[in-house]
Formats: sequence, structure tokens, C-alpha cells
Amino acid sequence: MMSDDEQLASLGKALAPVDVDEHVSQQIARRARVDLAHGPSRTRLVLPIAAIVLVASYLAWTIAKLIELLG
Amino acid sequence: MDERGWVDGLRGGDAAAFDAVFGAFRRRLYGYLVRMTRRKDVAEDLLQETFLRLAQHARTLAPDTRLAAYLFTVAHRLVVSWARAQAVRKQLAGDLPDSAEVASSARSPLEAVADSQAQLALERAFAGLAPAYREVALLVGVEGLQPAEVAAILGQRPEAVRQRLARARTQLAAALGEHYSGGRS
Repeated sequence: MMSDDEQLASLGKALAPVDVDEHVSQQIARRARVDLAHGPSRTRLVLPIAAIVLVASYLAWTIAKLIELLG
Repeated sequence: MDERGWVDGLRGGDAAAFDAVFGAFRRRLYGYLVRMTRRKDVAEDLLQETFLRLAQHARTLAPDTRLAAYLFTVAHRLVVSWARAQAVRKQLAGDLPDSAEVASSARSPLEAVADSQAQLALERAFAGLAPAYREVALLVGVEGLQPAEVAAILGQRPEAVRQRLARARTQLAAALGEHYSGGRS
């Protein structure tokens, strides 16, 4: 008796092979190679840094206000 | 070059290593994406996004990264995001039939490549599965991943994956009828 995995594997082998168009494939590879060479784009770093600066300055302002009220 | 070599190459920004990985996984990922989305254009977009993410994060890959697990995890997350966006779009559009539904009633890109009645029946049987069952059936049955790996990719418990596999197999057998030969030895 075959297991579920084995039965699904025998069905999977019978499926028609599919592939992406050659032109599209080349386009994807070309774009990805550019990203590989440059690493993550700088805009991807800007947003988290801006968020950290915003949160940190709000915290600093809150602490300063608290000290002002208590002092 | 083995998988470890490819990962080392990717970590160093080596284009040849990327090309090897792209060549090894392009068809597998596209097959998974086109059978999950049933849209050639969407599958191409998600394939591109999967490889762009690999390229963008290549330098931060762990040396022992399993590329199949990594790439199918990215592809799975993209499919989930796409499906959510589709669901929201359908809700906003009310009962109007959208272009995707109209397209799915015609011959799908997969049915076009099926070259026998049995293959056509098989494509339709896979397409008829609920997405959660279709996904495990594709990842285990077509991609040859282990249920434990699939559980990690989907963020599910291995028992849940096993349960889905059993249901997928039962539903495929019911849908295929006379074409079904699984389990006969």
C-alpha cells in the first residue's frame, strides 16, 4: 500500500511540465542580477531608519515632558 | 557546485551562483505559482518577486540555508498576499464577475500544455482542490519536498500537513475516477 506522499508523487510526475517564457525568464534574471550586484536598494533602508528616528524623538520628548512636570 | 557552494556564491554576490540557482529553481517555482494562482501573468510577476527577494537578501543568507525551503517560503508568502488582495478586490467589487473569473472559465494556461486526456483530467483535478490542499499536494507530490519541510514553509504543524495531504489524495482520487491509478501496485 502506497502512502499519501507516494501516491501524490506518482500523480505529480504525470502532470505536464510547465515553464516560464524564455523572454520573461531572461528579463527576471537580468533584473535580479542587478539587485544582487547592488544589494538591497537604499529606499528599503530609509523607511525603518525614519521610523526609528521618529519613535526615538517622540520617546525623548515624552521623557523630557515628564521630567518637566515632575521637576 | 552543490547547494552550499551556491549559497556561498550568493552571499558573495556571485552572478554565476545566482544563474545556477535561477536555472535550478525557475521551472519548479513557476509550476507551483501558476498552479496556485491559475494565472500566467500573476505567476510571472510572483516568480520575478521571489528571485528579486533572493537577490536582495543574498548577502544576509545563513551559510546553511536550504534554498528550496527558502524560495518556496517566499513564493508561498507572495501567493498568500496575492490571494488576500484578490479577496479584498472581490469584496469591493461586489458581485460583479472580475476578469480573473472570466479568464478561469476559459482554457487555463495549464490545460493548454496538457497533451493527453489523462493529463488534462489531472490538471483539472489539481485545480479543483481547495488552495490549502492543492498547495501541499504540489509541494509534496510535484516538488518532492518532505511533509516536515512543507510544514515549515507553510508555518503549519506537520500533523496538519499530513491531514491535508490525505484529504488532497482522497479528493484527487474522487475527481480523477477512471484516470486514477495511485496506490495500485
